Amino acid sequence: MAVAAAAARVWGSSRGLGRVGLLLLRRPGARGLARSHPQRQQQHFSSLDDKPQFPGASAEFIDKLEFIQPNVISGIPIYRVMDRQGQIINPSEDPHLPQEKVLKFYKTMTLLNTMDRILYESQRQGRISFYMTNYGEEGTHVGSAAALDSTDLVFGQYREAGVLMYRNYPLELFMAQCYGNVSDLGKGRQMPVHYGCRERHFVTISSPLATQIPQAVGAAYAAKRANANRVIICYFGEGAASEGDAHAGFNFAATLECPIIFFCRNNGYAISTPTSEQYRGDGIAARGPGYGILSIRVDGNDVFAVYNATKEARRRAVAENQPFLIEAMTYRIGHHSTSDDSSAYRSVDEVNYWDKQDHPISRLRHYLQSCGWWDDEQEKAWRKQSRKKVMEAFEQAERKLKPSPSLLFSDVYQEMPTQLRKQQESLARHLQAYGEHYPLDHFEK
Amino acid sequence: MAATAVTVGRLLRLRAAGAEGHWRRLRGAGLPRGFLQPASADGDAAQRRQVAHFTFQPDPEPLEYGQTQKMNLFQAVTSALDNSLAKDPTAVIFGEDVAFGGVFRCTVGLRDKYGKDRVFNTPLCEQGIVGFGIGIAVTGATAIAEIQFADYIFPAFDQIVNEAAKYRYRSGDLFNCGSLTIRSPWGCVGHGALYHSQSPEAFFAHCPGIKVVIPRSPFQAKGLLLSCIEDKNPCIFFEPKILYRAAVEQVPIEPYNIPLSQAEVIQEGSDVTLVAWGTQVHVVREVASMAHEKLGVSCEVIDLRTIIPWDVDTVCKSVIKTGRLLVSHEAPLTGGFASEISSTVQVE
Repeated sequence: MAVAAAAARVWGSSRGLGRVGLLLLRRPGARGLARSHPQRQQQHFSSLDDKPQFPGASAEFIDKLEFIQPNVISGIPIYRVMDRQGQIINPSEDPHLPQEKVLKFYKTMTLLNTMDRILYESQRQGRISFYMTNYGEEGTHVGSAAALDSTDLVFGQYREAGVLMYRNYPLELFMAQCYGNVSDLGKGRQMPVHYGCRERHFVTISSPLATQIPQAVGAAYAAKRANANRVIICYFGEGAASEGDAHAGFNFAATLECPIIFFCRNNGYAISTPTSEQYRGDGIAARGPGYGILSIRVDGNDVFAVYNATKEARRRAVAENQPFLIEAMTYRIGHHSTSDDSSAYRSVDEVNYWDKQDHPISRLRHYLQSCGWWDDEQEKAWRKQSRKKVMEAFEQAERKLKPSPSLLFSDVYQEMPTQLRKQQESLARHLQAYGEHYPLDHFEK
Repeated sequence: MAATAVTVGRLLRLRAAGAEGHWRRLRGAGLPRGFLQPASADGDAAQRRQVAHFTFQPDPEPLEYGQTQKMNLFQAVTSALDNSLAKDPTAVIFGEDVAFGGVFRCTVGLRDKYGKDRVFNTPLCEQGIVGFGIGIAVTGATAIAEIQFADYIFPAFDQIVNEAAKYRYRSGDLFNCGSLTIRSPWGCVGHGALYHSQSPEAFFAHCPGIKVVIPRSPFQAKGLLLSCIEDKNPCIFFEPKILYRAAVEQVPIEPYNIPLSQAEVIQEGSDVTLVAWGTQVHVVREVASMAHEKLGVSCEVIDLRTIIPWDVDTVCKSVIKTGRLLVSHEAPLTGGFASEISSTVQVE
């Protein structure tokens, strides 16, 4: 409209010229001239009162040329409840959880830590093929898992074992999946740490990154339709958030009004890639508003902050059928996996800082101790007990057989098609003839 | 054996050239008739601008499924979708532009009938559409996703191949997305050029865990689509877009199923087996009748219908009888699905 008025002034008010002028000055956008109102071209405007009519945005006009400056120096603030010494900062934010629950937080995080250390070692010794630890991120798992209902569906990436542990997934099954033995619910088909549990509403992990994000949105949509009173939570790292699937998931969740919590573990690294090479904006939380999603950034090493944010997000997501984005800031203390040696790209000092000065487990321990709910003796006893439990499960898992080779062919489809059955029979014949060249003793028949 | 195949191949090409005299306009494909002056006053020349490389041959009216109605292919699809949403309260349809009825009119009327929570538009993002569909299916609800053109299915390739196809296997059958069906317009339409004409079935044939189905007609389309929707595995249903309006036949109003992974011998013969799917079935049918007329050759014509898992037995049984095989498809030759068929037939 302002353009039209300017055109009228430049070209004069004579209709013929004015119209031509307007046609020349109107920049052909994607919509081009097709949208122009034939009548308006002939009006004389006083433009100052006009409101924009564009369907694409609800906004005022501005006559000053100004690019919006992204704020990365002073980004979205980080919500926390405890300081680094485990002391509550603002008492009104203390969730006042009962002792039993907080102890469960602590025991879950430490048990996970113990299991991680033993299984990492076991890979080094050639007993399992691969492992990924969760060091430093235990708070993100436990704080969020505790805030959910046990039937809320979880879509994870691969560094969320603590969620499963909080839901009482037995050590035996963690080990079974890592060893790929006959007790593995996944039938030994995937690499270690690709856990899944239908009973505990934890969708099986897959290796491709961020693929779970739009899937979680679909599940949330179905839950909404079913009036299930269920939230879906979707975990991913800050690296995976760069994938197209993340953009797709956020946009779909907002436009289709899905009860979903997007939980981003921003741990500073995607294998060797630091966040400075992963994004230039203000992390992941800043993207939420771009999609119309309510967003928050929390201290991921503060289990109460994670808990509070997730709890509130859950309540509102279900009540209002809209997505929430929680970016939990944390630090990946361990290597990316057993195939990685992070000393190649970061200093030992940096890692030590997080291990010693800002660790979710020690912060919670200080809290517990200051409440009088834990002491050094209990710590010693629990360390011994948890280690024993893990070692037992570990030794059992190692002794078990691997699943039968015939399971290579089932579950590809619900029913086995002829071609696969033929391949299965062909393998069986091959093993019959040449079995001595294969370690068949380790496999169930 | 080679000689007959070559001759039949030559017939295919002759057929394509000889179609010059019978151009027919693809309706709805361009400007209204009166808008431009015809290039010449001669009506015959104006007609020559209209093209179809085949004649759709309707099948005889099916009698075993109750009352039928004249439907074209997109109407048959609408009918199948209508039946599905009526039967299955969890079923939802989504994709780009499906709410107003779809760019090919396949979803006309469904949003009004079943509600905006069941028939809805998604943002323009194929990887999102398929990922979202997988998620719905994981909860057990029925997800019917539309990809606007098969040419645009590639952003969703990761979700289809790495996720949907492997969901059941990798989870040890704890989870699956079997109630997902992806529908997409497929194949040449005359003016589609590179990006509105593709037949990507061969890319998906290499992926165990999904089913790929292509109908040749409205009656086949409805029965096969219903089977895909009800199948407990993720399915891709490619709809030959050139047949949406051009193919018309009697189609039952009530739901019915045509089994997947079963090829159909639509014409028996003794000298050579011709295998095709989708639009090309009609081309190959014409070839068969030309071969019979001009060469005295008796062709057995097979519509493959399901690309994977494909019906090896029917094709092999036929080739054992005739001793010769010719496979014809629109998709590029190298790595096309004909190579899978011919190599398997050689082995068996």
